[in-house]
Amino acid sequence: MLQIKNLTKVYPDGTVALKNVSFEVPDGEFLIVIGLSGSGKSTLLRCINRLINPTEGEIIWNGIDLSKLEGEDLRKARRKIGMIFQNFNLVKRSSVFSNVMSGRLGYSRTIPSMFGQFSKDDIEMGRKVVERLGITSQMHKRADELSGGQQQRVGIARALMQEPELILADEPVASLDPVLAHSILKTLETLNQEDGLTVICSLHYLDLVQRYGTSVVGLREGEVVYRGSREDVRKMTDEQFKEIYGAEAERVGASIEGSVKG
Amino acid sequence: MQSRKVISKPQKESLVSPVIAAILSAIIPGLGQILARVVNRGLIILASFVTSLGLLIWRIATEGSRYTGWRTVVSKAYKLNPFLYAITALMVITYIYGIVDAYLTARPGAKKSKAIGMIFLIILVFFMQGWEIGQIDMGALFRDADEAVPALSKVVWPWEKAISYPEEYRTTIIDVQTPCTDVPFPAGEIKTDEPYLIADPTCGVPSVVEVSQGTEFHVVGGNFVPGKPVEFWWKDSANREFHHRVDGDYLIVTPDKDGSFEVSVIMPYRTLTAAAEEGVKVWQIQARQLISVGKAEFSEELKLAVEKMIETIFIGMMATFFGIILAIPVSFIAARNLMSHSPVTMAIYYLVRTILNIIRSIEPLIWAIIAVIVVGLGPFAGILALTLHSLAALAKLYSEAIESIDSGQIEAIQATGANWFQVVSHAVIPQIIPPFVSFTIYRWDINIRMSTVIGFVGGGGIGYLLAQWIRILDYRSAGIAVWFIAITVAILDFVSADIRERFV
Repeated sequence: MLQIKNLTKVYPDGTVALKNVSFEVPDGEFLIVIGLSGSGKSTLLRCINRLINPTEGEIIWNGIDLSKLEGEDLRKARRKIGMIFQNFNLVKRSSVFSNVMSGRLGYSRTIPSMFGQFSKDDIEMGRKVVERLGITSQMHKRADELSGGQQQRVGIARALMQEPELILADEPVASLDPVLAHSILKTLETLNQEDGLTVICSLHYLDLVQRYGTSVVGLREGEVVYRGSREDVRKMTDEQFKEIYGAEAERVGASIEGSVKG
Repeated sequence: MQSRKVISKPQKESLVSPVIAAILSAIIPGLGQILARVVNRGLIILASFVTSLGLLIWRIATEGSRYTGWRTVVSKAYKLNPFLYAITALMVITYIYGIVDAYLTARPGAKKSKAIGMIFLIILVFFMQGWEIGQIDMGALFRDADEAVPALSKVVWPWEKAISYPEEYRTTIIDVQTPCTDVPFPAGEIKTDEPYLIADPTCGVPSVVEVSQGTEFHVVGGNFVPGKPVEFWWKDSANREFHHRVDGDYLIVTPDKDGSFEVSVIMPYRTLTAAAEEGVKVWQIQARQLISVGKAEFSEELKLAVEKMIETIFIGMMATFFGIILAIPVSFIAARNLMSHSPVTMAIYYLVRTILNIIRSIEPLIWAIIAVIVVGLGPFAGILALTLHSLAALAKLYSEAIESIDSGQIEAIQATGANWFQVVSHAVIPQIIPPFVSFTIYRWDINIRMSTVIGFVGGGGIGYLLAQWIRILDYRSAGIAVWFIAITVAILDFVSADIRERFV
């Protein structure tokens, strides 16, 4: 169970990114955060694993307030939270496998890991994860030689190496075409359903939200403006969607989803 | 076209009438345009006019500096340097064009005309002034070209000097008697396998200063080495050897293709002791020829050039090493993204950046002169100078590489629960290694190039030799040095480009 309580983030330049945000995420949920660019989605996700320090509020996860952790305790908590990024954030010049293995850094001894040395068990685990994500043949390539979809698979593999209980996905499909978007989200869905991982994912398109989300949080200017269950989301109309997104919202993925299914 | 209309700003109305604008521009060039609300154009015209007028006055004053009275100065200056007429004429055209332009721009509802004509004229004025100040004289390229050819051809193909033969003087002699007696003195004989001299007559008397000329001997030589110069010496009755001179110059004869020559020598004047002068004595005429003996070997110049080239490469290499070692720590405090936490670190950042910029803006040659003052002539001075410059250049490039790090990659590694050391080793270093390697090799390349010339100011290496050889007009040896520099730099260019391609 993840509980966000009265979370507020004010940046040093005075921008209020989050205003008193509160919601709960039961374990095993596929929570989708929707909202315009600048509505605070990224800030929210980064507050959870403390890449950004919140100004006020609590983030209670498994009974621990993440917002108060420091040093070793914070790193131990981070290990259990995998993160996937819009721009993949792979170390471009390193090999795919070394990118995957970097997910294991939190569990490894400092000195050997600095020189790329990992335990046999970790390497074995890396092989399995790479195989599971279907990127074995790319293992020894440089990360930036891969296509966008494959790079995101490497990103997911890196997160899985952390043996996470929670996955934060910051617009994981925004840089991908709709076909690849479905493919990546299905991977996340599998992890959610088969491995029981909690997923918090920010997305833009209503179609994808309806297809994958088990619950939804809508953000607008740093405030929660919508909270809905799977059923609510299914019934969500374009009008409600536009309330969150403003008038420019569009449905994009519908036809593509059809083609994928067909 | 329509979109263009939408974008263009509405025309600002002129503050003055066209005539007033023209008159103002006639008084102060550019003022009319400024008041016609094309301020930038007006300011450019004004600044250009003031500058070029200042330059013109300076040139007139310099040309006519030997005269007094400004009228004389001006007329003499134009007479001495007719090019000034062209410049002045062009400036007048520009001035009038400026007045017309002010009139046209200030017309109510006038379309904003393009300033291209004006800018072209201004550039032309400066171009001509540059031509005049730079004393550009294309004729000089061809006028004395003939004289440069021998020197240049030696530089272009210097390899004759790369090989030398051990040489020594071979002396061939013929005795003559002084004075003549009734008994004929034997003449030399023609030999078949070694050089010989025959003198005719076989006896004579030395010259006496301001009284009489000595006997003129007709000397025939044979079996000498063709084409190699022969010097003539005397050995007098006191066994002293000395050069034969004709009007103060040494007599030098070059044998023909058969190794023969004929020459006339007048027996010179000598002050002799009584013992050497009295009675019948024998003098000797010597023909000395420098001939090759033994096998060919590499010349001293070539060996020296090789040694100094090695020294040069190592000067560049050591300077690069020291530069890297010093630049890495400095680059971190010169990286804005690492120093932007507090005002104190920002102050350090600005201070370091300023110092680096100052060091970098002073050429290595100047640093070498300073280093020579401190540590004396030699390679160490060169290493110091290049190290300093490399430090500044590399620290700047390194710090820019650090500044351009993708924070997303750092974020991603942090998110895995990695500690500080792991973040540095997995997210920072992989990102900065390629640019570091690339910049370093580039710098090494520059340092080797610079080390070839740093010797010109006493910083050691091949430049030192090259400068010396040029000064003593030994163009062949200088050519060898130039060739070595060119070959080394070309190889390094190729190697460094290759390495950089692999890393980047």
